[in-house]
Amino acid sequence: MSVEMVAVFAGSSIRLAMPLLLSAAGELVSERAGVLNMSVEGMMLMGAFGGAMGSLYTGSPVLGLLIGIVAVIPVAALQAFLSNTLRANQIVTGIGINILVLGATTTAYRAILGSRSRTEIPGLDKWAPPFLGDIPWFGDAVFHQTWLLYAGLVVVAIAAWVMRYTALGLAVHAAGAEPRAVDKSGLSVTRIRYGAVFFTGFMSALAGCFLSIGDIHTFTEGMTNGGGYLALAAVIFGNWKIGRTVLACLFFGAATALQFQLPAMGINVPNALLIMLPYLMALLAVGGLVGRQSAPAYLTQAFVR
Amino acid sequence: MTTMAINLWQQARLQTAIWISLAAVLFAILVGLVLVASMGVPLTDAISAFAEGAWGSPYAIAASVNRALALGLVGVGFVLANRANLTNVGGEGQIALGGIAATAMSLYGGASHLPGPLPFIVPMIAAALAGGAWGGIAGVLKAKVGTNEVISTLLMSFIAVWLVYWCVQSESLLRQPMHNTATLPESLEIPEVTKIPLLTGDYSMPLHWGLPIALVLAVIVAIVLDKTVFGLRLRAVGLNPVAARRAGIAIVPSILLVLFLAGALGGLAGAFMLQGDQYSLKARFSSGYGFDGLVVGLLARGSVPGVIASALLFGFLRSGGINMELAAGIPSAIVMVIQGVIIVTLAGAAFWMERKRSGK
Repeated sequence: MSVEMVAVFAGSSIRLAMPLLLSAAGELVSERAGVLNMSVEGMMLMGAFGGAMGSLYTGSPVLGLLIGIVAVIPVAALQAFLSNTLRANQIVTGIGINILVLGATTTAYRAILGSRSRTEIPGLDKWAPPFLGDIPWFGDAVFHQTWLLYAGLVVVAIAAWVMRYTALGLAVHAAGAEPRAVDKSGLSVTRIRYGAVFFTGFMSALAGCFLSIGDIHTFTEGMTNGGGYLALAAVIFGNWKIGRTVLACLFFGAATALQFQLPAMGINVPNALLIMLPYLMALLAVGGLVGRQSAPAYLTQAFVR
Repeated sequence: MTTMAINLWQQARLQTAIWISLAAVLFAILVGLVLVASMGVPLTDAISAFAEGAWGSPYAIAASVNRALALGLVGVGFVLANRANLTNVGGEGQIALGGIAATAMSLYGGASHLPGPLPFIVPMIAAALAGGAWGGIAGVLKAKVGTNEVISTLLMSFIAVWLVYWCVQSESLLRQPMHNTATLPESLEIPEVTKIPLLTGDYSMPLHWGLPIALVLAVIVAIVLDKTVFGLRLRAVGLNPVAARRAGIAIVPSILLVLFLAGALGGLAGAFMLQGDQYSLKARFSSGYGFDGLVVGLLARGSVPGVIASALLFGFLRSGGINMELAAGIPSAIVMVIQGVIIVTLAGAAFWMERKRSGK
């Protein structure tokens, strides 16, 4: 394997891992607070759609990104309302929202652009950090990426810092581990959980926009194609810890990149095996084969005062 | 006296459930109609295209019913597992595994050389066993490590969907022999004798023997759930596992068995789709039927007749939606919107149901 190939592989692994990383980081916060958003998939898809349409009509990908974020707000609000206020089954509502969003975005896309449109949509600019981008061989292939990737990394780092070192982070953790104690301390479990779901929505919107206007510069029907479920798998595999979740995302990204890399290297591994690998690993993780799992104690359980 | 009061109370609850389900369905259809109207398509065109595709000809009716069969089997499995408070969201994977097993058995398992009706029965049994095993794994994980069955069955659905893809991509598995580069990545067509015989013997109305089989199974499950000790035990396990264990009910075997059975029904649905309709295995074989079946089960609120009604509703919705796209140019994705609205509305409505029950 030549140096160029390693560089391309590393670059595409990071690029493919990024949407997972964004949405998984968002989902991790929400699951820590006790709400499982099966709807990450739908939120990502809505973000991708909003971002693409916004960028197409305003001609500005940055406005598109904002529109993508705004478009996810109703989806996140619906999920938060159903799981916190109506105390509905979080899994069922998540699946319902995913079907709803897939149907709605597909319908709207067809109505707006017709069925087999391949309209090129203005995408976000690329950027490389100084010095890193100039490294011979690697610089261009690895670090020359959409600026959203770097911005996203910063957001993930801030979120990790808030979760670990601030009172807010402590409250979020407690809402999923000891909701009753949070309630007694005078904070509102419901409000914390609403906030956490909205944060998942925000991060999923970034992830969706990364797909549509960051990576391929177009929108296709159902383009997230299970990415939201992969993000859930990454949180599970990451054992609800941010470091391990990031590693899981990178690993999943690398597995996806290998689908394109291996045939180029003349190695014949069934494509399907590489695609299912993340799900298989997550299954092994929840099956207790990769150390003990420690999900937040009150995950998926609605809080009743 | 008390029993009578309880019966009346249960009846009242059932009626509320039916009304809420009906209201959700009507609301969702209304949303769909508004969407159609907002797309500038005349409602009459849309509705007549829908009706034509759903029940406009004997062929359309049979196609809708065949769709409902697969949905209904998954839905019955969901209700069965749900009685023990287990949520099987793995229908998609169980259908996929059933499809693989039925194809393998029909093409290469020697089923076609068997006497009598066995050539089409044996692959169906193989499919049920494969789907059951797939569901059973989730049961083992639940019983041994306490893994949430929702997460395990969902992950296993994705694995199974890609297993189908693998099987039809690889010639050493189920892909048809490649003659040239244009050979499609799908299996050979299964032999004539392994196809499920048609009730009418005529392809203009392709209702097959799966219909009576599915109905019999649904009746059996309904009886088992409501009239047998096993059904009562499942309910006990579901309502209060600790108390059930104190009462001497073996929890682990109950979980294993019920998830196996739910999976087996999903596997059988896969066999019906393959041997009664598609006749060859293709990538994306399960095409969302498992997730729709889950919705059917959910909509039924625990009752088998409810499953039948909602399976038919979704079967006709799907057929009608496909024809709306073909004939009136309305994206069939509208049907997904309708389904999504139904699920979300019902999940939300459960809140009022619970509140009513607890009398707050």
